[in-house]
Amino acid sequence: MNAADPIIRINRINKYFGQFKALDNVSLDVELGEKVVVLGPSGSGKSTLLRAINRLETISSGSIVVDGHDLYAPGENINTIRMELGMVFQSFNLFKHKTVLENLTLAPIKLKKMDKGKVEELAFSLLDKVGIRDRADHYPVQLSGGQQQRVAIARALAMEPKIMLFDEPTSALDPEMIGEVLDVMVTLAREGMTMVVVTHEMGFAREVADQVVFMDDGAIVEMARPDMFFDNPRHSRTKLFLEQIL
Amino acid sequence: MLKKALLTLVALSTLCGSAWAETRIVFATDATWPPMEFVNGQKEIVGFAIDFLKAAGKEAGFTPVFKNTAWDGIFAGLAVGKYDAISSSVSITEERKKAMDFSEPYFTVHQALIVNKASTVKSLADLKGKKVGGQIGTTGYFAIKAADGLVPKSYDEIGLAMEDLNVGRIDAVVCDDPVAANYALDKYKEKLKIAAVLKTDKVESYGFAVKKGNKKILDLLNKGIEAVRAKGIDQELKKKWIGQ
Amino acid sequence: MSEQEKIIDIGDGAAIPDPRDKGLFSAWRIALIGTISLLVILPLAKPDPYAKILRFVPDGIWVTFEVTIASISLALIIGLLTGLGRISKNRYINLAASLYVEVVRGIPLLVQLFYIYFALGRIVRVPDIVAAVIAMSFCYGAYMGEVFRAGIKSIDFGQTEASLSLGFNRRQTMAYVILPQAWRTILPPVGNEFIALLKDTSLVSILAVADILRRGREYASESFNYFETYTMIALIYLLITLVLSKLISNMEHRLSHYERR
Repeated sequence: MNAADPIIRINRINKYFGQFKALDNVSLDVELGEKVVVLGPSGSGKSTLLRAINRLETISSGSIVVDGHDLYAPGENINTIRMELGMVFQSFNLFKHKTVLENLTLAPIKLKKMDKGKVEELAFSLLDKVGIRDRADHYPVQLSGGQQQRVAIARALAMEPKIMLFDEPTSALDPEMIGEVLDVMVTLAREGMTMVVVTHEMGFAREVADQVVFMDDGAIVEMARPDMFFDNPRHSRTKLFLEQIL
Repeated sequence: MLKKALLTLVALSTLCGSAWAETRIVFATDATWPPMEFVNGQKEIVGFAIDFLKAAGKEAGFTPVFKNTAWDGIFAGLAVGKYDAISSSVSITEERKKAMDFSEPYFTVHQALIVNKASTVKSLADLKGKKVGGQIGTTGYFAIKAADGLVPKSYDEIGLAMEDLNVGRIDAVVCDDPVAANYALDKYKEKLKIAAVLKTDKVESYGFAVKKGNKKILDLLNKGIEAVRAKGIDQELKKKWIGQ
Repeated sequence: MSEQEKIIDIGDGAAIPDPRDKGLFSAWRIALIGTISLLVILPLAKPDPYAKILRFVPDGIWVTFEVTIASISLALIIGLLTGLGRISKNRYINLAASLYVEVVRGIPLLVQLFYIYFALGRIVRVPDIVAAVIAMSFCYGAYMGEVFRAGIKSIDFGQTEASLSLGFNRRQTMAYVILPQAWRTILPPVGNEFIALLKDTSLVSILAVADILRRGREYASESFNYFETYTMIALIYLLITLVLSKLISNMEHRLSHYERR
């Protein structure tokens, strides 16, 4: 792999749910350090695309190469590839039976065989970063939605991934908690993390994205830099979408 | 159609009842004790004791009706009046006499010790520390418990004890000799044998049991037993069922 | 309780008391006090036969415990494997597990006990208690399998996805994430099955295993004190299940710590 190669290369993938075509000939490259925000109406296939990147959804045809590893090549271990791909879910999905700290340390200890003290050191620094250090020994159920989502981001970061995938990270939150989660994501972006974010937060897209991807009916309709995308959309469906949203 | 058939049946049964039975005596019997009382291939309760009571009924003027009842609890049922009498190879013992009344003896038994064919056991004394089975609440089981150093094991039915002996879960079974003969000389003749007939001080006999104080039934039974003996019918039945 | 909390309603054992029920006159408390009082007063008031019965049955109580604990342990292992088999994506494993559950559920426990006990006798020579334990756990393993399956299924799929996304494989996900949570959901029905199993061990007395019930029957058949004997037997069973249900309820309370806000 050359240094110039994209860290994620999605090449003409299709995905069917029975007769329904969820992804229609989608291709997308993400460079190292790039932030890609995927927009689109619900049911447009944007979450399916994101989940295809770490094979939570299997694709029907096409290829996905992450950091030089073909997700579907025989002999590739999907679990080691997934260690490179942190993922944040709409519904947080924190491990309910583990404390905040244990949520962060479980995977590094078990998968990287890291020393417990070292992992906890890392975990505390991450909790500092997302501003929840004081809740380290709480259980997820004792936290607010915004706090849970920040812990979920820290949990993904604890594996020190190269890429972070965000699947509508603020959609399940009360409005007053959205800001605290977006702040963490902006900080992360500033630090140079490669990010693919599915969201409805236009402000975030405008502020952070290097590329904005607009999807509809399972296909990529338009792809552009945010200023171009928001101020001067080319496609009529994009215009219609932006009119409805803004 | 069905109704008509039912009515006819009811009418018939009442007719039969009045024409035949001067007195119906309901006997509880645990029909798992061949050849004394057991269920044959036609699902009828048959055996030495059954034939004996039918004959006695003819002589003394009563109709025996048999009710198949599990051994465990058979005495409790008599006490609460679920049936009039027990005909189930009940050995007459002092303990039991306190709880119920007995007819005259109708059969004399001994306790037999059954072991596997290959076994060298000759008596209970050879079975120290070994598991010996018998049917719960029988004189055979009491004999095992009374003997020194055995591990007694009680079964609901003597057949289950025989099966466990057959597959080697226990080392011996003690039960009444006609039953022992039935299993060791017939059903399991390839596998089991009678090792010994246990020596006891007293003669052990079967009697029909009735609820304490039920003199009416007891007198009828004794009358029947006497008549069967007098006519030698009991000897014929022994030949028929036990072959001795 | 979170909204994802699903109640799996399996079990025909004794009602497990609610640990928050602090009332002096809870049903559990009344039953316990009544049982203990009767077990003390009856033998004192009428030593013959009540005290005699109490002296006659203790080894039977141990046998009942032995059979129960051995059977439940084995049934839990069989149940876990069966539950995992029932949700397995491997067709043959799934089929085998489902077939086992179907067969066992379709045959009355007593019939299975007889069958396995006597069938085993023809194949291998094992002591009666071992045969009884194998038979009991074979039956209860199927019920446990269904409990495990329901418990695992009750865990939100998001937990699995989160675990997979971190790089855990399916087996690790099951071990570190799903089962520890499922255990909490599973515990009440497992507790119920445990108590139901303890009561069902009375069936092994049919197999000539000298448990509480058989000891009682032996006593009754010799003494003719049927009423008194079964009174004591019933009280002993009741005392055991009451204490057990309380223990299980306490354990459940401890295990649910992460659900309390």
